[in-house]
Amino acid sequence: MIFIAIIVGSIIGALIGINIPTISYTYSGYLAIAIIAALDSVFGGITSTLKKNFDMKIFLSGFFVNAILAMALTYLGQKLNLDIYLAALVVFVWRMFDNLGTIRRYYVEKITTRKIIAKAEATIKKANEEQK
Amino acid sequence: MMNKNRIAIVLGLVCLLLSMAITVQINTIKRTSIAGSKKFAQDNLKDEVLRWKEKYEAETRNLANSEKELAKIREDGAKKDTSASAKESQIKLNNNLLGLTDLEGKGIELTIKDDPNVTTENIGIVDDISNHIVHEQDLRAIVNELKNAGAEAISINEQRITTNTSINCIGNVIKIDDEKISSPFVIKAIGFPEIMESALARAGGYLDCIDDYGIVISLKKLEKVKIPKYTGVISSKYIK
Repeated sequence: MIFIAIIVGSIIGALIGINIPTISYTYSGYLAIAIIAALDSVFGGITSTLKKNFDMKIFLSGFFVNAILAMALTYLGQKLNLDIYLAALVVFVWRMFDNLGTIRRYYVEKITTRKIIAKAEATIKKANEEQK
Repeated sequence: MMNKNRIAIVLGLVCLLLSMAITVQINTIKRTSIAGSKKFAQDNLKDEVLRWKEKYEAETRNLANSEKELAKIREDGAKKDTSASAKESQIKLNNNLLGLTDLEGKGIELTIKDDPNVTTENIGIVDDISNHIVHEQDLRAIVNELKNAGAEAISINEQRITTNTSINCIGNVIKIDDEKISSPFVIKAIGFPEIMESALARAGGYLDCIDDYGIVISLKKLEKVKIPKYTGVISSKYIK
């Protein structure tokens, strides 16, 4: 369900994005870092859904505040002539991999458990038949 | 279950926003990316150039809007009495001649291109590749010929030729005032089409000469030629 929603949302978004006008080049740097921040939030959201501790307020506030802070850092970096956005980038990508790891582990474990259960059930069935 | 649906919807919406932003970003980068070196050290310079270019374009738009407003105000002011309206039409004519306005009228469109069949490999020892490309003196000669044939307004690759325009060679491109242009050259002129055409295309005329060197020429008479206004600044320091 969640993954269907994500895929449908992405496709619709891409279709809208192709048809709306582009932004000015000056601001494209800010948009880029905001995209990374939002991507991080999405991964965080999926992870917390799997862990069953998803909180709407935390998710949405994280989505916007992270993006805004990242853009503000980029702006500050431009004023100070220091590439601060790199720091934000590292943190976001780090967290993305972290969350991806959690998601991966969740599904691997799920599949392994399912296999073990199936195996156990088969063994029990066999034992039952032998008893008869 | 209700909660899970809501989570799915919110995540879907966020992804919608995200992929929208990504496509816009991709489009923006695609639109603005300019040809050149991909070296990292030059990225900053490229960045700077793009920023200035954008600022310049925005300012040019502003200027055009202001000029339009000014013209409208002048027109409104001139409505009230006849001497002012005569002056107004004089101003209009002068602006047209100075190159301050976009013009339209019947005329010709001439496209000339470097010889596509000649390369440094197949040129041979006797011939010179320089003979097979369009030079700045060709453009000068054509502009001169057009003016002689009564052209009222001329542009080359959308660069207006004004009274003070210079046409220069800077390496492998040609500079018209401060804008660099390169082959193919589209020369547009407003005037009497037949006269201008015969002035250029007559036997022994300039086009006839460069035609022998394999330069690709196409000359069209048009009912409607659009010539853009001069984008530079007209200033005078020493005229008293």
